[in-house]
This record gives sequence, structure tokens and C-alpha cells, in this order.
Amino acid sequence: MSRACVAVASLIVVAVVMASGCGPRRGVRRSTRPPRADTLLSPAESAAALNEARQPGALATVPAAPVELWTGPGNRPFEVATRTSEEDAGHARRFGSITLQTALRARPLGQYPCTSCHLGRKVVMAEKRITDAHQNVRAEHPRQTGALCSTCHAADNVELLALENGDRVTLDETYRLCAQCHFAQVDAWADGAHGKRLDGWQGRRVVMVCPDCHDPHKPAVQPRIPFRAPRIERPQGHGK
Amino acid sequence: MSTDRTPEVPESADDGTVLQKRVDRRLALKILAGGVAAGTQALGACSPLSAATDQEREVRLLAWQEYIKGNYRFMTDAERAETIARLERLAQLQRGVDVTIQSTGAQPGVQFGYAFNISKCKGFRRCVEACINENNLDRRAATQYIRIFEMEDGVVDLDHADATFQHEVPAEGHFYIGTQCFQCADPPCVKVCPVGATWQEPDGITVIDYDWCIGCRYCMAACPYWARRFNWSAPEVPAEEVNPNQHYLGNRARKTGVVEKCTFCIHRARQGRLPACAEACPTGARVFGNLLDPDSEIRWVLANKRIFRLKEDLKTEPRFWYFTD
Repeated sequence: MSRACVAVASLIVVAVVMASGCGPRRGVRRSTRPPRADTLLSPAESAAALNEARQPGALATVPAAPVELWTGPGNRPFEVATRTSEEDAGHARRFGSITLQTALRARPLGQYPCTSCHLGRKVVMAEKRITDAHQNVRAEHPRQTGALCSTCHAADNVELLALENGDRVTLDETYRLCAQCHFAQVDAWADGAHGKRLDGWQGRRVVMVCPDCHDPHKPAVQPRIPFRAPRIERPQGHGK
Repeated sequence: MSTDRTPEVPESADDGTVLQKRVDRRLALKILAGGVAAGTQALGACSPLSAATDQEREVRLLAWQEYIKGNYRFMTDAERAETIARLERLAQLQRGVDVTIQSTGAQPGVQFGYAFNISKCKGFRRCVEACINENNLDRRAATQYIRIFEMEDGVVDLDHADATFQHEVPAEGHFYIGTQCFQCADPPCVKVCPVGATWQEPDGITVIDYDWCIGCRYCMAACPYWARRFNWSAPEVPAEEVNPNQHYLGNRARKTGVVEKCTFCIHRARQGRLPACAEACPTGARVFGNLLDPDSEIRWVLANKRIFRLKEDLKTEPRFWYFTD
């Protein structure tokens, strides 16, 4: 009886070890090989392909657009796609006819593209593994809301985000993902009462997108020590 | 005998040309300045105590020419170019900084407006920091145009608000509200100025000609928002921290005994850029734009959000609104 128990237990242990061996290794694995351009689709193309397969004709992704470099607050560089709501089905559906240009999000990311590590393998969406490879991710938001990784990230393509309606969008269209719950904020953002505008008050309205200010995994504005308090009293030495 | 001479008759031909010409204040000062400059040079030539170098002589001459110039508002374009050239040269000689001083005028069809989201502001004071750097504010006296008040939830009461908080923010049960010059449409500060050194520009910004201000501080007494600042001493800004992008009516070097204030960063706003405070705000609490543009962000906020202004009953019509999410 006890031998049988030991045998069963050892089998379980072996299974667990094998299962954990299938996951990604500890630490960030960076591929030195360049991505295979012939087989890998760009995120926009792959989102288009996925959306096309699911719902023919309902294309809702960022079209290829010329990219410019803009300077934001604190001389921070921003890549901006010049596109308008007419070209962007997501915008047109959600925001009517406003013209809006958004800062691009994906390329400045440090661990982007994701395929530099994931190499097309289907990724097991488990928080334990995520914290191994992505140690900068502090998953406050999913913890508070009970969301899983796959609530926002597409399990079938790690480069993309998954919307509740089944659409796949790139990391440049995070506002469409956030709008699913934070619709009031995203509406205010689209109209100009929330968020920040790049460059100036005049001319094209180019705005920063949600993750430029909010960490997607820990979006609340964190407390901090303010800049020094004013000296209200009069300075001692008058004149000079 | 010469006793029967009438006083109207000039003594000599030289005096006559001066007396019979209509002499205004500027011309008289010009003549005086010419004499002083000549005298200074003569003195410099013979006295070892005031042996001025060429550079010192140039500074004195420029300073005198600056002293006798007119009010910026009534200068011709040529006069404005001259004074700007002198000021840029003086900055180079006296402070060792190369600055560019604009005289950019108001854009037609633009009225600037500002909206401040009291739901978003967390009291980080990044706007204050940016303002100090952008506007070359006095580091020694720690002049600040912007005040952020910390207030308890539920009531807007500036009398019991704390503008000197220095702890981790946002504090529990408090909200934050920023004040600066509100660029009133009917500004009491302009009405009381006895010399016309402050006025409202066509785009709604109230500006000061620092070289015309006599430092009486009536405007500071008149402002219901406590928005103006007085220079008890010449502002001190380290040469490496001077912002060289300047405007005659904005952030150029001020001197002792003149009043200054926020101009919505006139040197930036008139070029289509955001004021430094709006650009620096990390929470997006500040909205700036053209009130005459129906598609602007500020117009959307004013039309769709719950808004208020401070001390609206005084009817100064500030162009600065507060709103909540």
C-alpha cells in the first residue's frame, strides 16, 4: 500500500518537473538572431490577419502610416503616427469624427518585440512565469480586478492585445483596450479633458496615450514628495 | 543796458534753438544723456579712478540709452528692434549669457484660456519647478508665480488652505488647487497703474513693461488673486540656468523694484506652444488653448465639465477656470 503511494507521489513529482521544464527559463532570454522577416508578420499585419479570419471585412487596426519623431515634455522623444479618425476604424467607431493623432507605444518598449524572446511559441499565461521574465511588471491592476494576463494580452499572439469583442489590436492602440472599462476617462481623453497633448495648443492635436502616464499593470498615480515649498516670507537683504 | 530785454527773447542763438523747440521728456533726457556720456568719457580719459574699459563704457552707454527709451506699447517696430538689440547685448556683457528676446505680437483670432482640473491635481508642484526654470525667476528670493493650495475635501476655502505643504502628496482627505495670474478680461491691476506700465494684450495676456514700471505696487494691492510678485532685489539666476528663449514682455531679465507676474509663458504661447506649467504637469490637470476656437480642448472643457472660477463676484472675468472630472 505504502509502496503504491510512493510510486504515485513520485509520478506526480516527475510530471510537475516536466511541466515546469516546458515553461520559459528563468531570466530574460534575448535572441541574438534577427527575426525571420519571411515568416514573421508585423504586429499590425498579424492583427489584421487574426481579425480578418474571425470576422471577414471588419478590419480595425492601425494602417501603415508615416511615423514622425516628436518631442514631448522634458524633451522626451515620441514617435507619432499621422493618421486621422477616418482612416482608423477604431477611432471612427468610438470617437465619432474627431481628428486625433496618438503617440506610438510599441517601439519604445524595452522588451519589444516580444518575439525576440518568445519566437512564436505559444506562451503559458501564468503570473508565476511572468514575474520571472518580466520583473518590472508589478501586477497590481490584475490583482485588484481579478483579471488574468489573457484578459488583456492575446494568447494566440503575444505581440497583440485582446479586446472583449474578439478584436486584436497592437500596443499602439492601448486606448481601445482601456476604453472597455474606463470609457468615461477615454471619452474625456479623446475630447481633451484628460491626458496630455504633445507639442502645443495650436495645429495638429497629437496626444499621449494611456500607458505614457499610467503603468498598465499599476495604473494609479503614485504618491510622491512635492517640489520644494515656496518661501512666502520676504527675503532678508533688500536691494543690492 | 540789458535790463529792458524781454524774457522771451533768447540770449543767444544756441539757447534759442533749444528753448523755441518743443522739448518733451524724452528729448531732454536724450540731450542730458549725450552730455553725461560725453562727460563720462572725458572723465574716464583723465581720472585713474574711473578708468573704464571699452566694455564698461559700452555698458554705461547702453544702460543710458535704455533709461531714456519709451514705453514698449508705443514704440515703433524699429525702436523695439533697437531696444531688443541693446538688451541682448547687455545680457551678454553683464551676465555672460546669449539670449534671444522676442517681440512676437498677438496672433489674430486668439484669446488664451486656461482650465485646471482639481480632480487631477495631486500637489506634486512640477508646474512650479518648470515655471521657475522657464521664466528665469529669482532663485535667491525663491519667487514663484504658481501657488498650489492644499485644501480639505468638501469646501473651497483659500483662507484656510495651506500653500506651504511639504509632505508626501496626495494627502488623505485633501485636494489641491493651483493659482497663478488669471489674465482677467477686466483686470483691476491695469486700471490702477499710474504710469501705464501694465496693460492687456489683444490675446488677453496682461503684461508689464519692466522698464516703465516704477515699483509703486498699486497693482499688487489691486489684484484680488495675489498674482503679482515684487522684486525686492535684482533677480539672481545662475548663468548656466538662464533660459535664453525670452520675450520682452515675459521672462527677460527683471531688475530691482519692479513687479512681475505670470504671462501664460507669452514667449511660448504666441508660438503655438503650451505654457511650461501645462507641459510639465504629470497628471494632465492643466488644459490650455484658444477660447475663440470652437474645436479647442479648452472649449470642450468649458462646455461639458462642471466649472467655476475664483472670486467670480468681483467681476474681473478671469480667463482661468477650475473643473472637476
